Amino acid sequence: MKHVRTYWAILRGSMITGLVYRFGFIFTILGNVVYLFVAYFLWHSIYRNSTTLHGLTFNEAFIYVALGSTVFILLKTYAEWSISREINDGKIAVYLTKPLDYQLYWLANNLGFTVTNLVAITVPTVLLLIFVFKVSIPLGPGLLFFPLSLVMAFLISFNIDYAVGLAAFYTESTWGLSMTKEIIVTVLSGALLPLQFFPDAIQKVLLWLPFQTIYYTPLTMIAKPDQGWGVFISMIGVQFAWTVASFVLTRLFYVQAIKVLRVSGG
Amino acid sequence: MTDLIHIDNLSKHFKILNRHQGMAGAIRDLFSTDFRTVKAVDGISFDIQPGEIVGYIGPNGAGKSTTIKMMTGILKPTEGTIQVNGHAPYSNRIRQAQIMGVVFGQRSQLWWDLPVIESFKILKEIYKVDKQTFDEHMGLFSRLVGLDKLYTQQVRTLSLGQRMLCDISASFLHNPQVVFLDEPTIGLDISIKAKIRSVIQELNRTRNTTIILTTHDLGDVEALCHRIIIIDKGRILYDGDIKKVNALFGAYRTLKLQIEDFNDSTLSVLQKKLDGKFGKKGGIAVASTEDFWTDVTIDQARTPLSDVLNFVMSNFPVYDVRIVEIAMENVVRKVYDGALG
Repeated sequence: MKHVRTYWAILRGSMITGLVYRFGFIFTILGNVVYLFVAYFLWHSIYRNSTTLHGLTFNEAFIYVALGSTVFILLKTYAEWSISREINDGKIAVYLTKPLDYQLYWLANNLGFTVTNLVAITVPTVLLLIFVFKVSIPLGPGLLFFPLSLVMAFLISFNIDYAVGLAAFYTESTWGLSMTKEIIVTVLSGALLPLQFFPDAIQKVLLWLPFQTIYYTPLTMIAKPDQGWGVFISMIGVQFAWTVASFVLTRLFYVQAIKVLRVSGG
Repeated sequence: MTDLIHIDNLSKHFKILNRHQGMAGAIRDLFSTDFRTVKAVDGISFDIQPGEIVGYIGPNGAGKSTTIKMMTGILKPTEGTIQVNGHAPYSNRIRQAQIMGVVFGQRSQLWWDLPVIESFKILKEIYKVDKQTFDEHMGLFSRLVGLDKLYTQQVRTLSLGQRMLCDISASFLHNPQVVFLDEPTIGLDISIKAKIRSVIQELNRTRNTTIILTTHDLGDVEALCHRIIIIDKGRILYDGDIKKVNALFGAYRTLKLQIEDFNDSTLSVLQKKLDGKFGKKGGIAVASTEDFWTDVTIDQARTPLSDVLNFVMSNFPVYDVRIVEIAMENVVRKVYDGALG
């Protein structure tokens, strides 16, 4: 595809931008380490009287939660804030006068930050988990699906952020919407707590929503990878369906939203 | 069709919610359907040939930017036809973007946190510019304005003038057929303005790039354009040779005075004395402005400014003087008054 070079250049640019703020990494890593310690002791005490809860051992639950916070940093690019600001202050005009697809432009931009974060934050955190917290990651087919699942989680998460950002075409303040989205995604995706810990009825509902595919799906593959192939194949299938759906829906939304475009200023 | 840009009876209307005052008003607005229609552009027509530099001017809110946004495919016209190189910009946005360059004076297209050269590398890929064209372009701008000295500097640390030079260079990178320059000299000092004008002229001459320039600075228009389009309240007031308009704003200067012991009769006394000295046909008009300045507008074609200045200084207790070029608003007012017949 001849456009690959274009978006690769944008991705590369945002990676370099990410590296410019190198001190930011130090604080993000430090913050994450503090969180890991808190999570470790919290889950240790939750598991004080039992070896398994809701089908998860302490080791599995802790891997889930610890990697959950790392994946959270990885996927959290605050795109919705940047996009809505750009729409409200009219900067979007600069991109609309270029031969660029607005969604792919932001996707490339975000992917750049995520790749930088992967190298600068995720890798050190995983090393920390293995060597300091002595976590042993179990082996199983789930691990093979994890990378693909993480990519799709990124795409779904991005598309939700993108849609929230585009809402700025309709309202000048997307603050409330962004916060609401933040809470919904964080809680309903299983980012803070594995879905197994939710009541059965709620779990059933959550499995029908797209949010669980962002955190629960990839984290399960790495925290509990020793399940049958069928389990993971169906998980990936669901995730793939949501990835496609999120692209279709956001593109339809863009076509509608751009119609109400009014770049500020006369 | 040989016109590069063809605009026929083009309109753009915006719907704006009428806002009410205070807290109660804000709550009312939540449910309000009280829209009014603003005709930002109201039935304009013109054609632009390849290689022209056209000054597109008018006061704030005249509809300049709205027209530019329709020509660049950002906004969709409410009515009328617009074609750039034979295609409607709005329905072919991505393809049309390839033949256009745009500089929004208030917004940079460069990547804020990256060194200058990185932005150019990204733009090279966005516009699919080949290496030879890229190197030639960068070489040209290094010769013209010393762009190479800025390569490693972060865009956010550039001065406004340097940033504008980079932005202009970036908009010409892919050798577009038409470049829209929206207020390219806003907030810049005289020497940078001169540099920017000469760069624009050079590119127009060597590459035959069509340039549409919107500006508040009549100096830009005088220096660059042969043709000028004046727009106000969404309608075209004048479209034609700049020479005719030049007579309007080129010859007029305003002498701003602060006079001691200013009172109600000062203005009439001043006008009477000036008329007595230079005659009724001296083309001198006295007016006061709200900020305690007295404006004396002089038609230099009839009376030299220096004569008026000398006369006023020796006959009135003047303690501060400024000379300003006629403002855009005054040009527009004169056009309304039928000055171009």
